[in-house]
Amino acid sequence: MIAPKKQNLHGNPSQILPSELIDRCVGSKVWVVLRGDKEIEGTLRGFDVFVNMVLEDVTEYEITPEGRKVNHLDQILLNGNNIAVLVPGGKPEDS
Amino acid sequence: MAEGQSGAKTPADFLKSIKGKAVIVKLNSGVDYRGVLACLDGYMNIAMEQTEEYVNGQLKNKYGDCFIRGNNVLYISTVRQA
Amino acid sequence: MAEEDNTVREPLDLIRLSLDEKVYVKLKGERELRGKLHAYDQHLNIILGDVEETVTTVEIDEETFEEIIKTNKRMVPYLFVRGDGVILVSPPLRS
Repeated sequence: MIAPKKQNLHGNPSQILPSELIDRCVGSKVWVVLRGDKEIEGTLRGFDVFVNMVLEDVTEYEITPEGRKVNHLDQILLNGNNIAVLVPGGKPEDS
Repeated sequence: MAEGQSGAKTPADFLKSIKGKAVIVKLNSGVDYRGVLACLDGYMNIAMEQTEEYVNGQLKNKYGDCFIRGNNVLYISTVRQA
Repeated sequence: MAEEDNTVREPLDLIRLSLDEKVYVKLKGERELRGKLHAYDQHLNIILGDVEETVTTVEIDEETFEEIIKTNKRMVPYLFVRGDGVILVSPPLRS
């Protein structure tokens, strides 16, 4: 990995690494947009170097031609392979 | 990388906790497999027993044992016990 | 450990225990194979013998918009399957 230049850090003291950002989400709600028409929301319990994630009280949204399908799950291990976007705090409609 | 996660449940912890339990495995294609998790490895390759294959929520097939190649796995979920 | 270890410690053991047996292989692109498992490796590259290949296609009738599901079967004496196409492998039902 290429380390950020020192002067950049001085210019932007709030800069954090992506992995730190995910680490700060542990214990709180996250909204995960996957490749393909799927989204997952749940409480982040942990993750690993591949950003495989353990999520709890999960809601799965699937966008199909017939409309949005919703599915509830207790606890899942989400494969990091298909993650496109991770939004800390959960889906905006909830807040 | 995960050193900051004290008290967190990492993927490795989760996998240990679900061995021998009823699970749902969803593939990227949207197909669901429900059965008892026998074991899995670092590629998320999965061995399952008493497996039922659901396509669009409809039971399509049953397998005594089955091996699922890890690259197809979207998630592994615990099953809500009634 | 004995040479003939018939416990399943890792998922690939399930495949190892199916060597020389008839297996079912589900592939990407709605393809299914049934045949005798001769060999495999860690990528799930597979060599099968006396294989029945089933290809399922769905066509839409242009007038009625009905889905027409067609299955084409053929026999192949001996074939190699590249591992990346494999979705699922199931050993024969052990009675």
